[in-house]
Amino acid sequence: MSIRRVALVWLLGAMAPSLAWADNPLIVEAALDREVAAPLLDAFEAAHPHIQLTFRDRSTLEVDARVADADDPPDVVISSAMPWQMSRVNEGYAQRLDSPAAQAWPEWAKWRDEVFGFTFEPIVMAYRLDLSRHMMPPKTHADMHTLLTQHRETLRDKVTTYSPSRSGVGYSLFQQDARYTTRFWDLVTAMGAADTNLEANTRSMLEGLSEGRYWLGYNLLGSYAMVWAQSHPEVIVQVPQDYSLVMMRMAFIHRDAPHPAAARAFLDFLLGREGQRVIAGETPLFSVRSDVVGPYTAQRLRDQVGERLYPIPLNASLLAFVDPSRRTAFMDRWQREFRRLSQPAPAQGAAITEPRIDKSPKR
Amino acid sequence: MIEVDGTLKSRLAFWLLATVSALGVLLLVEAYFSSQRAAERAYDSQLEAAALTIAEAIQWEKGQPVVEIPSAALQILATRHQERVFYAVLDADGHTVSGNLDLGISPDWRRRVSSQPTWLNDSYHGTQWRLYGRELDSAGWETQDPVQIWVGHTMSGRDALTETLFEHAVTRFVVMVLLAGILMLLAMRVALAPMRRLRHQLRQRDADDMRPLETRVPEEMREMAETLDSLFTRQREGREALLRFTADASHQLKTPLAGLQTTSELALKSDSPDAWRQALTEVHGSAGRTSRLASQLLSLARLRHAVEASATSRIDAMALLHETTFDWAQRDVSQAHDIGLAPLPAAPQYIQGEAWALRELLGNLIDNALRYTPPGSVITLGAVSHAQMLELYIEDDGPGVSPETLEHLHRPFERGGRQDTEGSGLGLAIVDSIVRRHEARMQVESAEKGGLRVRLLFPYLTRHEER
Repeated sequence: MSIRRVALVWLLGAMAPSLAWADNPLIVEAALDREVAAPLLDAFEAAHPHIQLTFRDRSTLEVDARVADADDPPDVVISSAMPWQMSRVNEGYAQRLDSPAAQAWPEWAKWRDEVFGFTFEPIVMAYRLDLSRHMMPPKTHADMHTLLTQHRETLRDKVTTYSPSRSGVGYSLFQQDARYTTRFWDLVTAMGAADTNLEANTRSMLEGLSEGRYWLGYNLLGSYAMVWAQSHPEVIVQVPQDYSLVMMRMAFIHRDAPHPAAARAFLDFLLGREGQRVIAGETPLFSVRSDVVGPYTAQRLRDQVGERLYPIPLNASLLAFVDPSRRTAFMDRWQREFRRLSQPAPAQGAAITEPRIDKSPKR
Repeated sequence: MIEVDGTLKSRLAFWLLATVSALGVLLLVEAYFSSQRAAERAYDSQLEAAALTIAEAIQWEKGQPVVEIPSAALQILATRHQERVFYAVLDADGHTVSGNLDLGISPDWRRRVSSQPTWLNDSYHGTQWRLYGRELDSAGWETQDPVQIWVGHTMSGRDALTETLFEHAVTRFVVMVLLAGILMLLAMRVALAPMRRLRHQLRQRDADDMRPLETRVPEEMREMAETLDSLFTRQREGREALLRFTADASHQLKTPLAGLQTTSELALKSDSPDAWRQALTEVHGSAGRTSRLASQLLSLARLRHAVEASATSRIDAMALLHETTFDWAQRDVSQAHDIGLAPLPAAPQYIQGEAWALRELLGNLIDNALRYTPPGSVITLGAVSHAQMLELYIEDDGPGVSPETLEHLHRPFERGGRQDTEGSGLGLAIVDSIVRRHEARMQVESAEKGGLRVRLLFPYLTRHEER
């Protein structure tokens, strides 16, 4: 390590100043598929040829762990697990970005000028064409519940969704769903009754759909699903018509970023017109900026889906989702509801009675 | 010589500025702290609200407190300034039931909170935090242990609010100072209006207008106006004196000239050489007198109007007195009188003065005494040394003058009520002028022997001047 550093210093001293820029590394830890982000990364490298970009595509939990790695902190952290990102920022792991692009960024999509939601990804349902031969495909959450109830046997083992315990994104989405309506728990019960398969990421769900293992998926990331659907005609993407959650991928510069200048350049690119134009035109991540034109913009999505888009609010309330006792309580309830019909009460013992007295009457 | 020493405006402005800045520093310090207090109160109440919201969510389950942190509480904590937030719910033993940051709530703090809700400022990883802790007595079916709720946030909102409040206070203060400054300027215009009026009036006056002022002035300017008035009065008097002097002088010169004309006319009508001779003798005498009168007038004019003091020197008054007395005693005109010196102080007595003027002074006094006393009179000159003054005097045993005439003897052409002498009436006037030039005093009084006594009091040279 130290030898490498000495060598680097020697190299910088020996080279002309202009060439010294050529060795300007940038480490980005991201919970973002490289395939999806490729056009964006290519555009960044073209715009900043002197920056040596290292893009590490990881799971949200891995990314979150890397933030706290004191020995080898990354420069930029990108993750779709919004509560975890928010929690890290609240812990003080982010540094402020005061560039014009950051200043111009809409208030609802940033926090403390430290963390920025730079995408606008709708949460969708996806189904296989086989499904439509047996029943009317769902358009709303209520449709979903109805289908699961009426065609339980047909759909048994054919439905998939996120595992709240294995995926941060999935957990956040269910939390947000539960905030909007208590009928969500009926849906969980119905999914549990249909022996729904719980996956750790959207890709696995999409693969299952294409392979025919699954017929219906709930709470998929629209960005990935739309790209998949383009090359897999058997998969249909449905943006829920009652309400559709919108997830924003959040990016921040690490407090201890070893290459802060390059990190700022990267974030400026993400938030700037150029980066957002690539997001809108060449990735399904959807641009937040209203002055950018392309097939994938928040504005266009609103025009298509109407005002039923509900972005997960990017504010301190997200911190509640990562509260350990709240998470435990939520997971307990999830397990209970999920197993209520498939594994009847006796297995739960006495513990199940208490929360039912508390919560059930509200339904 | 008028020297302009700044303006009244700048002087007033300076004092206003000095007092205002001293006062301002105090006010602004006070304003800063009160802004801070106001901001603290505003945001502390949000901490309180958040703590209450969390307290509402605490429930007992299987003998353990559980809490489902309400999102609203966190948003209240974050405020619209998007503060970083901290919360912790501690059970009776200080174990964390729920919480997000490890701010390290010390046992000491927990003890304080157990008696009453507490506010704290704390530093965590180089950031200032404001913390609030309160204890909640909650009851479950199995246990009744107190639970402590701690909340906190960073302080950028407080700082921003303090700054805003402080800025407002500063703005108000600056506006007030500016208004005060403008008011001061207006007040000065109003206050200085009488001064301008007076100046205007003075400027509009004719050069020879010496009437007293007619104007309204405030109390503060009364003294100045009165001084101006008395200056005008003195000028008026001086001018009147000059006019009178000129008129008198013309009159005095006209009389002998008219006599000359009459004499010469009579002589021309006559064919007798004797008459001519007599007339010529008269003309000669009259011309002599007229010439003397003219020279006296000249010297008086010179004395009165020579503004610049010519070179003065240190003079031994005793020697001068001696010398002049003897000079006069030997002249023809004094042969009919007895001129003498009283015993003089032995040491030389020095005064500052012009030798020619002092000689003229003594000469005039002696001349006067000779002219206004009958032949055979005794004229005595002398000197007396007082503490601060040297007194020179001359007295005679002639007929003297009446007390009411004494007062204006020093006026030109005053002859002590006598028309029988050849004197011009200018002698004492000349003496008076010289005495003024030497900053001395002259007293004319009746002598013990019945005649006139003139005392001249000269200031001695001070020690400082002597050196």
